[in-house]
Amino acid sequence: MSAFLRRFLRNRGAVAGFGILMLVVVVAIFAPLLYPTSPWMMVGRPLLVPFSDGQFPFGTDMLGRDIGAGLAYGARVSILISLTSTVVAVVIGVGIGAVAGYYGGVVDDFLMRVTEIFQTVPQLAMAVVLVAIFTPNIYSIVIAISIVSWPPVARLVRGEFLSLREREFIQAATVIGLKPLRIIFGQILPNAMSPIIVTASLMVATAILTESALSFLGLGDRNMMSWGFMIGAARTMLREAPLMSILPGCAILLTVLSINLIGEGLNDALNPQLRKKGGH
Amino acid sequence: MTFLRHAVLRLIKALTVILSVVIANFFLIRLAPGDPAAIMAGEAGASDPEYVDRLREQFGLNEPLLTQLWLYLKGVVQFDWGYSYRMQVDVLHLIAERIPATLLLMGAAFIFSILLGILFGVLAASARHRPGRGWLDSVIVGISLLLYATPLFWLSLLAILLFSVQLGWLPAYGMETPGTDYAGLERAKDIALHLVLPTISLGSFYMAMYVRLARASVLEVIGMDYIKTARAKGVPWARVLRRHVLRNAMLPVITFSGIQLGQMAGGAVLTETVFGWPGIGRLMFDALLQRDYMLLLGVFLVTSTMVVVFNILTDIIYSFVDPRIGAGGQK
Amino acid sequence: MKIFQTRRGALRLTAAALAISLGATGAMAQTKGGTLNTIVQPEPPLLVLGLNQQSPTQYVASKIYEGLLTYDPDLAPQPGLAKSWETSEDGLTYTFTLQDGVTWHDGEKFSSADVVFSVDKYLRQVHPRVRPILNTYLESVTAPDDQTVVFKLKSPFAPFIQLFGTDNMTIVPAHIYEGTEFATNPQNQHPIGTGPFMFESWERGSAITLVKNPNYWKDGLPYLDKIVFSIIPDSASRAVAFEQGQIDVLRGTDVDPVDVSRLENLDGVEETTKGTEMYSTITSMIMNERELPFSNKQVRQAISYALDRDFMVQTIFFGIGKPATGPISSTLPFYDGDVPKYDYDLDKARELIKESGVDLSAHPVKILDYPYGSTWARLAEYVSQQLKQIGFTVDIEATDAGGWAQRVGNFDFDTTFHFSDQFGDPAIGVSRLFVTSNIVKGSPFANNAGYSNPEVDEIFAKAASSTSREDRQELYTEAQKILVDDAANIYLFENQNVTLYKDSVHNLITSGVGTNSNFETVYIDDAK
Repeated sequence: MSAFLRRFLRNRGAVAGFGILMLVVVVAIFAPLLYPTSPWMMVGRPLLVPFSDGQFPFGTDMLGRDIGAGLAYGARVSILISLTSTVVAVVIGVGIGAVAGYYGGVVDDFLMRVTEIFQTVPQLAMAVVLVAIFTPNIYSIVIAISIVSWPPVARLVRGEFLSLREREFIQAATVIGLKPLRIIFGQILPNAMSPIIVTASLMVATAILTESALSFLGLGDRNMMSWGFMIGAARTMLREAPLMSILPGCAILLTVLSINLIGEGLNDALNPQLRKKGGH
Repeated sequence: MTFLRHAVLRLIKALTVILSVVIANFFLIRLAPGDPAAIMAGEAGASDPEYVDRLREQFGLNEPLLTQLWLYLKGVVQFDWGYSYRMQVDVLHLIAERIPATLLLMGAAFIFSILLGILFGVLAASARHRPGRGWLDSVIVGISLLLYATPLFWLSLLAILLFSVQLGWLPAYGMETPGTDYAGLERAKDIALHLVLPTISLGSFYMAMYVRLARASVLEVIGMDYIKTARAKGVPWARVLRRHVLRNAMLPVITFSGIQLGQMAGGAVLTETVFGWPGIGRLMFDALLQRDYMLLLGVFLVTSTMVVVFNILTDIIYSFVDPRIGAGGQK
Repeated sequence: MKIFQTRRGALRLTAAALAISLGATGAMAQTKGGTLNTIVQPEPPLLVLGLNQQSPTQYVASKIYEGLLTYDPDLAPQPGLAKSWETSEDGLTYTFTLQDGVTWHDGEKFSSADVVFSVDKYLRQVHPRVRPILNTYLESVTAPDDQTVVFKLKSPFAPFIQLFGTDNMTIVPAHIYEGTEFATNPQNQHPIGTGPFMFESWERGSAITLVKNPNYWKDGLPYLDKIVFSIIPDSASRAVAFEQGQIDVLRGTDVDPVDVSRLENLDGVEETTKGTEMYSTITSMIMNERELPFSNKQVRQAISYALDRDFMVQTIFFGIGKPATGPISSTLPFYDGDVPKYDYDLDKARELIKESGVDLSAHPVKILDYPYGSTWARLAEYVSQQLKQIGFTVDIEATDAGGWAQRVGNFDFDTTFHFSDQFGDPAIGVSRLFVTSNIVKGSPFANNAGYSNPEVDEIFAKAASSTSREDRQELYTEAQKILVDDAANIYLFENQNVTLYKDSVHNLITSGVGTNSNFETVYIDDAK
């Protein structure tokens, strides 16, 4: 573990990314303390330019809502939705991938066909349709993002399982009569963990982007102030108040960037022998 | 013989996937609240339930769902994809009208992203290996990381703000200047100008992806013994790059390009909305909001067919570049 | 587009031949020719009036089709396809004499048979708004000769004379539609009317082009050669197009309110809010009054006090609009502003809630978004915050056009907004939202609130059949007082539709239907 930490800390980008992400997380957690009133509340004169007013350092939007409060609460929404949907997607992906990889044969064939079907409809289009059909709210958004993002995990896990299945320690476990579930969870999964973690970290980043795109298209949860919503709402006033769109955009950019940097750091640290491969 | 068997199997697989997508979507769409009859009546300000019923009957929405599905599938095979309820136009006709715009945009974004992506990726990788050029690598990697993390629609908005509103260099919307009678070259130039911003905003994310892929695989190949040997023998760098590195480094790029083409059909929804590009992404979004079932199904049928075709093409190209792999495309 | 080419070619030939035979008309003071560039938003599904009544369809098709009458800004009837008309004293018989020498765009002669077919067969069946009126009031429509049409009513319907505009009683060609299934007639893709402009082409997703009708029945008209309706789905892009000069005429509803205030200050740009008298649109908040908390009158009144209409108009709609005092717009006949007032007062609102005895915490409410653009989303957000301040527990529910129509049509909502056109007379556009008989499922623009008051029902019924203007005024004044006091809906503001146009464009708005008039006298300076 310490070797892992040392390798991770050596990656300056990853450390910077970790710093930024922690800042975002802290703001998200303490948003209600930083801004006790709801981000939807009209608290000031509309359209105060950011950085010009001491009381509202980030300015106010067209209705006089504090943009700073929006950014802070937006961090909560982004992190909540991206983490939850990634967890759900990883659970689905690992489940399907593990079953397919462990049993192989017809089961594998069938599950991989299903995976392929999900990969055939373009992700964003699929997410848009799902959210529109189940009416936009936090649940439908999380479900839609999970549904479009599990297939790569399934494929990855299946691949790992196929190769691990043949290894001696698994063969041995089978011979001494361990149950398949115990083998899957006790033996194979821990050994396949590092690529899953790296992929999951990138999925969190993608989920933030997808959520913001949905909100921008008007398919966000109407009771949650999210960054994508803020850009979408500010869009009509792009030329009168460009900072109103630029600030939340920067928040997304920084958060996603930091997660990507961490993902790379994890990749390097967890797979030292693969470090030159990059990406996934 | 095996090739033929592979090809047939592949085709059957592809058709099953498309069929499943269509059937799944058929039921999915029906889960949405509201139907086209209710919407059309609503938009017309009608307060007359009998009128809504008439519309439903006319659209065949009163039939049992399975009958509707059967009729639809039968139609699809005979190239009768049904009518758009709202526009009273044949779905195939509508899609055929819109698809060139999408293909043009996708093609432009694809070429833009893959060419620049490979160029910068290789540039970055070779810069890293040459003394005093390390900064170039860092700059390229940095920019690609940024692009990789930028919301596409936000980038589009900023591009419009800068290039159309502030500088007035490029048109902000549409595919052609309205109300003009351009023809031939003049028209091509007009379209090309309109194409610039959408292409960049749709392509830049993927460009960043290609930069990373190309850079990583070039770095990997460079580290291999035979390259080291070639360089030790004094073969010029440019030649090594051309002869040995590029060919091998292209494999992951090709794999990803298949995925990109598929995904772009979805990403185009955003780009087409922001830039008013008259393609099928927008057609899909409108059809979805209006519950124009047949049209929506038609668009899905087309996009999923496109994805499947791109995948097959990728496999074929892959097998040419890397002879170790058969046309079946198994890993 | 291929399907249309042969037809179009043929049409052009006939048109050219006719133009030659007619010869050139005398010199005009106005500049002839030129192309008018404008925007149609959103893209209409279809251009055949009757089959589709949406605003974008109206905008384009009103140049192609005509009705028997047109209406000036005071909504007084003017000649259209009818050159004169008479109403019998008992208000039961309407006799129209048609114009001479009118032909359809395909060269066929127009006659009274077309009118009878359109009204009796076509509109009675397809027109979502007009058919219930025709089926209730119209006894018969007959054509004693080629030039004359006679309408006989079962009982008097005061606003009947307001219904003869292009948007309500469109006249369509009998020789194309008679005996066919109207909705699927292939000619729907190539509309044929009698109007000053003819359909030329429609590139879906980009533009609709109309060209001058060279043998329009009014000599020397129209002035323009061509009208191009561009389709630009993004609102900001539409604003840029107008700003960059590619678009001559921009309807205020085509862009966001914030852009209107910027664009109207550009050099060489004129603006007008005239030409919406026929529609006199009002935005209201409608509540499901079947159950608590909205079934309680004091709760509704409290809401009316809790909303700052000036803030809505000034901040959310950037000054475009006017606070409403009641259910009838101030630009509509029979408006009366002498009604109970709800000046913004949160304390008063809280007090009313207390008096009502309704425990708001036991009745959380959901505001259903009105899915027609970002300003409406802002409105929902504003109202949600205001309601929270007087003790409501509020959530906003997102929806799209499909979901909205379905939910509101089936009474499956707590509260939402809508703007509704009033069509020149309360009996056509206002009573439908309040009378008990119109509590019908299936349509979002009926009495979806479920408001029911026998007194109001009786007043509206009397007013619709009365032929005396004074009596009607008295009745509608009474109705307005009751509906405001009851807070049957929360009347928010009168929508103001601004039209922006380049100062080189003239005669744009000449009637009570504004840009939905036929543009026959529109001309552009220095047109090529």
